[in-house]
Parts: sequence; structure tokens; C-alpha cells
Amino acid sequence: MGAASEEWLVRRVADGDTVAFEELYRRTSPWLAVRLRRRCADDELVAEVLQETYLTVWRAAAAFAGTAIGGSAVGWLWTIAARRLVDAYRRRTREANLPPTVFGPEIVPAAEDEALRDTVGDEMGAALRRLAPELRQVLQAMVLDGLTVRETAVLLGLPEGTVKTRARRARIALREALS
Amino acid sequence: MVRAVDAAETAPTSYAWAIHAEELKVRAGRRMAVDGLDLRMGTGVHGLLGPNGAGKTTFMRAVATVLRPAGGRLTLLGETVNGRFDLRGLRRQIGYLPQEFGFYRRFTVREFVEYIAWLKEMPSRDVPGAVQRAIDRVGLTDRADDRMRTLSGGMVRRAGIAQALVNDPTVLLLDEPTAGLDPDQRLVFRALLRELAVDTCVVVATHLVEDVAAACTDVVLVDAGRLVFQGLPADLAAAGADVGATGADLAADSPAERGYSIILRRHRERIGAQP
Amino acid sequence: MKHDQVPAELLERYAAGDPGINPDELWAVEAHLEGCASCRERLGAAVQRQSPATTALLARVGDRLAAEIAISTTMPRRRRGQVLGRSRWLLPPGLLARLAMTVLLVLAALSLDLVDQQGRGEYPSLVLLFAPVAPLLGVAAVWSRRLDPAYEFVMASPRAGLYLVLRRTLLALMVVIPALAAAGWAVGASPARWLLPCLAFTAGALALGEVVGLSRAAIGLAAAWVIGVVGPSMLTATSPVLLAPGALPAWAALTAVVAIVLALRRDTYTGLRSGH
Repeated sequence: MGAASEEWLVRRVADGDTVAFEELYRRTSPWLAVRLRRRCADDELVAEVLQETYLTVWRAAAAFAGTAIGGSAVGWLWTIAARRLVDAYRRRTREANLPPTVFGPEIVPAAEDEALRDTVGDEMGAALRRLAPELRQVLQAMVLDGLTVRETAVLLGLPEGTVKTRARRARIALREALS
Repeated sequence: MVRAVDAAETAPTSYAWAIHAEELKVRAGRRMAVDGLDLRMGTGVHGLLGPNGAGKTTFMRAVATVLRPAGGRLTLLGETVNGRFDLRGLRRQIGYLPQEFGFYRRFTVREFVEYIAWLKEMPSRDVPGAVQRAIDRVGLTDRADDRMRTLSGGMVRRAGIAQALVNDPTVLLLDEPTAGLDPDQRLVFRALLRELAVDTCVVVATHLVEDVAAACTDVVLVDAGRLVFQGLPADLAAAGADVGATGADLAADSPAERGYSIILRRHRERIGAQP
Repeated sequence: MKHDQVPAELLERYAAGDPGINPDELWAVEAHLEGCASCRERLGAAVQRQSPATTALLARVGDRLAAEIAISTTMPRRRRGQVLGRSRWLLPPGLLARLAMTVLLVLAALSLDLVDQQGRGEYPSLVLLFAPVAPLLGVAAVWSRRLDPAYEFVMASPRAGLYLVLRRTLLALMVVIPALAAAGWAVGASPARWLLPCLAFTAGALALGEVVGLSRAAIGLAAAWVIGVVGPSMLTATSPVLLAPGALPAWAALTAVVAIVLALRRDTYTGLRSGH
């Protein structure tokens, strides 16, 4: 497949090309799996979400391939996966069967790679590190993972009010650190 | 998908109830179908029961912002539905399954739900995934690309539920969603309701008391446009176990139905209405 | 400031599921990976080296997927941009039927005019007389419960509003006006004579429709014109005063006023009504 983009692969999948589908899976599933496993400690659930995500792309490929839709294939994959993960948590909430939440690490400052720290900016990076884990978790869910307040509340097993409060506190803390 | 989160999204919630009706009056034709209704509904599945003409559909249409209240006050997600208010913004957060609806017969199920997604002004990049998800949730995955006119009545109804779900609404209004569904499909639907109960305010207007008893977190009984009873399904069934049951009540099959019958009768006796 | 690659060691630790990665680096890695295919490729290799659990999971899911896609088909292929295109320019079947009817009526008027011209040519042109209200048959179907099967959904949606109605009306005009122009050219009734009245009636129907319903307004205005102007005009075999060239400025003014009224009252056709 060479330098073919994932979007091109999706267009091929829309024509029913199973080889393209397998290639899409090969290229994107490791990233998706690693990321999901850092948010959900239940591997069976992660497997379920992965399967549903790729089946969605398989079933609706032509709809995703429409140029008017825009965006990157990887972007859609994450959005689909995140929503399915929240759906699974919603089902588990009713049964009081929530998988354990995966917290971020406790503050362990270490002199690691300068290069990547620059991506986040020194002050921002330091601020992120100093942020309390529960605040960072909300920030990650909303900003990085793109979830709404409602979805974040379901995923983290928190009331919506708490999610909002923590998001506000996180924003204040970051703003202070950057000023 | 990195995104910006604006202040409005994380501002403290300004309202206590997703749906709050105070002395609500809504006209349907010449009749005042909703006539002084006081009702508060939050997150969870609310079963809306009542005899024909009780005002259930009229109430749902008012909440769907299709009918303007004629009196009293209706507040949805903190916005009072009165005069100038953010109609568009409110409608984006609502999902509504009307009691009766039509559709473009040549459309496939997918195209139908996509069209509704467009009508709901969903961002176009979200539409394909949201449509597939909605179709999967109602169990129509295998028929997604069949034309609507080839579907049975129950499947059309389920497609209707899918369009109501597609925008992940905060307020979901389902008017007789189980009409035409076989028992198997009703079970699947109840599981969906239980899932939705976690973070959505769902109102299900139905004649089937058993649907309500099995899947609702809250039961609301209305008659002649007014609130008769609001409580847990268990309370409804408890009323059915009451010794005050007459012959007519005992003809009902289940405690919930008996309870419904008894409570309704008592209410009418109390206000002196004709049975 | 984006760097080209995630450093190898960090990538290995991320692939291994190392809980000890610094929060800011973790954030940066995840944000970066969403946009960088080559780092995702490297991550794939790293996962195989570092995480047997993830590798096994991926293999399991891969097998299940292969089984699924062998038995289920993807959706039918569609043209690019079909979702948006189809939705934005959608015309309800009732409207299409009305437009077809309108074109037939124009043809009928044209035929009668040609017959008349062959003969003594004493009657005013039917095409000209009919032209101002020709679109109204279609406009009546733009916002109608009877003629739009999906009306319940459209009028309850966020997109319901004047803009949607205008778009459909515009599409109707784009069918009717060329038909009228062609027919008019054949009998010498140039658009200069009927275009302004046509627009005035269309805008008038939209404005009046806010009060009495678009269907009623459109049909009512059309009926009023036919009874009040077309009828007498045919009976007396004289061209109506209202379509005389001198009346055009009045039509222009009327159209402008109605258009302004419409523009000012933009919260219309939202489907929110008082329950009658």
C-alpha cells in the first residue's frame, strides 16, 4: 500500500475492499488499543469497543468517505471509539459494574526527553504535571479525548456537577501557571 | 480529538430539572388538553401514563417546542419556553419521536437518519458515526441500507427511535415507541432505556403499563391534562396490592396495571369527574 | 511547536503501558500520535515488542473482524458529498409533483396561446396572465403537512425556519421561471413583464403564510389573481392593467416592502405554533 493515507484506505473499503480494511486495521489499531487501554482497565471491554469501532467503519465506509465530511480517518476512529466506550460504561453503570478507572500517574518529576516536553511548553508542561490527578483526568477526557461533560461524567463515574467543577479548577490552575 | 472547551460548557448547571412544568396549559384544537399541569422531570426514564385524551401527546409536543404553551410556565434545560428564547439551541438538545410520522419512502434507513441528522444541524463530520451508532442501538444494523418502504411497522418505529437518538439528546421524548414492536424487540428497547437512564432525561408516553414498570425510573400518571400521580414503579404496584380494589380493577393483569386503575379511579372520584 | 518524531524510548514506554510517564509527555505523545502516521507505524512495531497483552488483544479482535466482514457487506457506494447534497437540496415528493403540474399548466397555457395566435389572436396571452402566480402551486407545497411526508420532523427541527423555506422556494423558482421564460419567448411575453409580479406574489405568499399558513396563503393569492384579474381579462379580451409596463415600478416597490417584512421577521416557519 506504500504511502497510501488512511482516508484513501477508507475509500477503498467503501468499495468493499477487504484487503484495504485489513491494512487500515493494521495501521491504526495498535494506536487505538494502547490509547483505550490507558482509559479502561478491562481488556474485554477494550476488545469490544475496538471491534465495534472497526465494524462501524466497515459498515458505513462510503458515508465516511464522502469528501464533504472532512477530517482525518484517525480522528473519526477515535470519536467512534470514545463514544462506544462511553456507551459501554453507561451499560455497566446500571449494573454498578464499572471497570476501574485508570488514573494518571502521581507527580513523578523526572528529567526525561527535553524534545517532547517542548511540545507542551515548559510552563504548561510543568503545570500539567503539578495538576492534581483528578483534575488532569477530567481535562484529558474533555480536551484531549473530545468528550462532552455528560460523556465524561459517565466515563469517570462522577456527577456532572463534579466534572464541571474540576474542569473549571483545572483551567484556573493552568491559567495561573501560565501567567 | 483535541478540542477547545469553552467556559459555557463548564459553567455550573443553572437548572435543577430538565423539564419543569408549572400550571402548564396547552391547547390542542379547541380543547385545553394540558390544563394546569405541574411536573418536574430530571435525569432518568419517566413513564408517562394516562387514558386517551389525557394530554400526553400534547404535553410531549409542547416539550418538543412544537406547541406554544397557552398558560403557565414550561422550562426546558433552564430555558423558559416563552416569547423569545433560544429555540434552535434547545432543539439541538432534544430528540423527539412523534406518535405518527411520515418519511420519504425511497430513502434507506441510513439516508433517513442522515437527513434528520442534517435537520438537527449536527456537524457533518460526526454524522456517519452517529448514524451508524443510532441504527445499531435500535437493532436495525442489518436493514440499514434497505429502503424505508420495505420495512415492517415495528421497524419503521425503530427507525423513528434511531432518528430521535442520533444527536445524543439531553432530553428524549418518545411517544408510543413500542407500538408494533414484538416482545423480543420490546426487551431490547427496555435495555436501551436502562442505558439512557444514566445521563438522559427520557419521557416515554405509552399505553403499556408493563413497559413502564419494567424500564422506568419514575412513573407519571396524567388525566384530563393534570398530574394524578408521580412516583416509583414500585409505588404504582404497591397501590395495586391495595385492598380497595374493585372488580374492574381486578380484571387488570398485573399489580402495576391494577395500581394504575385504582389511582386513576380514586383521583376521578376525588375531583368529582365522570368516570 | 510540533516535533517530527516521538523519541524512541518514550514510544516504547507508551507502547508498554508504562504508568510512570510524565503527564505532560503523555499528553504530548497522545496529541502527536493523532496526527502522525509514521509514529503510529513505529508504535505498532513497539507494541509487538513491548506488550504481549495488547498484541494478543489486537489479534483476537482482528480475527473476529475478519469473520464479521466475511459475512456482512459494507453499505452501497455513493457519490461524493451525497449526504449533504441530498439533504440541502432535498425537495419533498409533494413539491416535485406540484412543480411537474405547474410545468404542464404552463405548456397548456402555451398551447392555448398558440391556438389563439393561429386564429384571430384577440385574447391576451394566457402564459403572461398565468405567469405571476405560476410558482404558487409549488410554493404551497414547500411547508405543508399534506405534501411533505417528513413535515413532522422538519418543523420540529433546529433547521426549521425561514431559511429552509426560502431555499426550497428558490429551487421551485429555478424550475418554474425558466419554463415560463421559454413559453413566454414562444408567444412574445417577455420576462420583463411578468418576472416582478411573479417575485412579488412569491414573497407575498411567504409573508402571508406566516399568518395563515403557507399553503393557504399561496393558493389564496393564486385564486384571488385568477378570479380577480385573469378571469375578467379573458372575458373582456383585454390585457390587464396590472401587467402593463407602467405598473412595474409598483410591483417592484411591493416586492421590496414584502421582502423587508420577511427579513425583519426571521423567526418564522419554526414550526412552533399555538396549538390549533
